[in-house]
Amino acid sequence: MAISSTYLSNPSITINAVDLSDQCTSAVINYVSEQLENTTFSNTSRSFTSGLYSNTVTVTLYQSYAATETEASIYSLVGTTTTLVLKPTSSAVGATNPSYTLTGAFLSAHTPINASLGELSTIDLTFSGGVLTKAVA
Amino acid sequence: MYTIISPRLGTPGDQFIPEEGVNIDALLDGGLISTDTAKKSSKVKSEPKEQ
Repeated sequence: MAISSTYLSNPSITINAVDLSDQCTSAVINYVSEQLENTTFSNTSRSFTSGLYSNTVTVTLYQSYAATETEASIYSLVGTTTTLVLKPTSSAVGATNPSYTLTGAFLSAHTPINASLGELSTIDLTFSGGVLTKAVA
Repeated sequence: MYTIISPRLGTPGDQFIPEEGVNIDALLDGGLISTDTAKKSSKVKSEPKEQ
């Protein structure tokens, strides 16, 4: 049985053009089309059509307050829109390494301090909305 | 015109050309890029001498 699965070993992520791959431990793209019901009396099963797209990207980053690191890159994005680019690997974009770009994503919240004693500090961010495009070349 | 400060954006010192959707204000606030300012000449023109 042929199995083709991917585990992320060296993924790439840029947030607002800033490469934060070496601070990122988790990234999830939710590509969602809202479903609108258009079932009628003529149907025997429910039927749906596409509504607005409601995309989100959720990332987990190690927090760092050093110059030009995580905090400097994220803090001023709260309440604004930006662009994120994610790839399964840092290699060139291609059919087996597609690039996903979320343009116009809104960041509503950030936790500048999210720390516990004896643990590395991380932050979880959710970027909402925007247009998701996939590139293979 | 913007100049890259952080290596996370490219080579420091190079010109930064923002792509669509990039939040320039956030990059400036975070000190990741700087605004280029036109350098003024240090030379002061002297008045022509009367002959």
